[in-house]
Amino acid sequence: MKANEDELRQLMISGLDGNAADHAALLRHLVPLLRGFYRRRANGSEDDIEDLVQETLIAVHTRRASYDRDRLFTAWLFAVARYKMIDHFRRNRRLQPIEGLEEILIVEGFEDASGARLDVDDLLETLPVKQARMIRATRIEGMSVAEAATADGIGESDVKISVHRGLKTLMARFQGGGR
Amino acid sequence: MNTEDLITKLSADVPKVRRHAVGWRLAIGLLLGALVASAAVVSMLGIRPDLHVAMRGFAFWIKWTYTISLSAVALAVTAQLARPDSGSVRWVWLLAVPVTLLAGAGVIELVRTPPAKWLAMWLGHSWMVCPWIVLGLAMPIFIGLLWSFRRLAPTRLRAAGAAAGLSAGAFAATVYCVHCPEVSAIFVLTWYSLGILLAASLGALLGPRLLRW
Repeated sequence: MKANEDELRQLMISGLDGNAADHAALLRHLVPLLRGFYRRRANGSEDDIEDLVQETLIAVHTRRASYDRDRLFTAWLFAVARYKMIDHFRRNRRLQPIEGLEEILIVEGFEDASGARLDVDDLLETLPVKQARMIRATRIEGMSVAEAATADGIGESDVKISVHRGLKTLMARFQGGGR
Repeated sequence: MNTEDLITKLSADVPKVRRHAVGWRLAIGLLLGALVASAAVVSMLGIRPDLHVAMRGFAFWIKWTYTISLSAVALAVTAQLARPDSGSVRWVWLLAVPVTLLAGAGVIELVRTPPAKWLAMWLGHSWMVCPWIVLGLAMPIFIGLLWSFRRLAPTRLRAAGAAAGLSAGAFAATVYCVHCPEVSAIFVLTWYSLGILLAASLGALLGPRLLRW
């Protein structure tokens, strides 16, 4: 049940127009998305993850007036999810944030928002080959730093530095004139 | 609760949401608060008796233009911060336009007035109470905006609180104009702005607590 931006947005808009069935369908589509989102970002028990998912569903429902129909739905959704996660961390420190959370959020948030891996590929092509490869390995394919280092036959600190520099360049470009 | 049950429960109540709901909600909260503030001005302070004469004068309109334009910019910024995906906040710099224009008017005023009268012009008759009245009148408007935010989703709570406080302060100053007989631009620039700033600071202080969701 993998839904894309257009489908989700259609359901959201229909829900805003008062269609309860579409609203329910939207919330059901969001469950696996949100579970994946939180699992990737928080080390917590399944109960904690499910709590977060439910809190976010409630927020999506009660704060739906804050969605602007002309904007990306997933960008709105993940902004809500991110806020809920940070709020959750603050309230009960049961969930532990993953190291380097901010960077992951910024890069993946962008990825989710634009909903297009193609854009990511294009962007990575603008970076030096090694940086692009390391970002792809650790941030997109999900390898650990140690695995990426072994795969490429280089040191772990080398991997970290490449990823960091690459992300920094991308962020600078993105926050600067790229918008 | 089971997630599926939760979804069923939530979908039982799906009211329509109109387009531009954020703007509407903020406008309603602001106007409800402003109604209370106006009632307070009329019942406790009284409308200035020469209002119909003053409304034909230049000084009154300088004041209103200043406070209304501040309100408009502040409200636009508040609307941006009421969305979770607002990104960068635009138009904040526009706040400098009315302030600069009023400062310009103040300079012209000072040049035309003998220095001996400057202090009296700056302090007017009500400098000690003016900022506090503006802050007090901002309270019901701020509460109205808090009501608006109950269905909105700010993620930068301090900034959103400050913007709401600024809107409340600027609108309170607009309401206060119907009572306040002061005419000098530097009076307004100092004491009105101080009251508006107090309201914005209070909003920034309370935002993280009151706007959480």
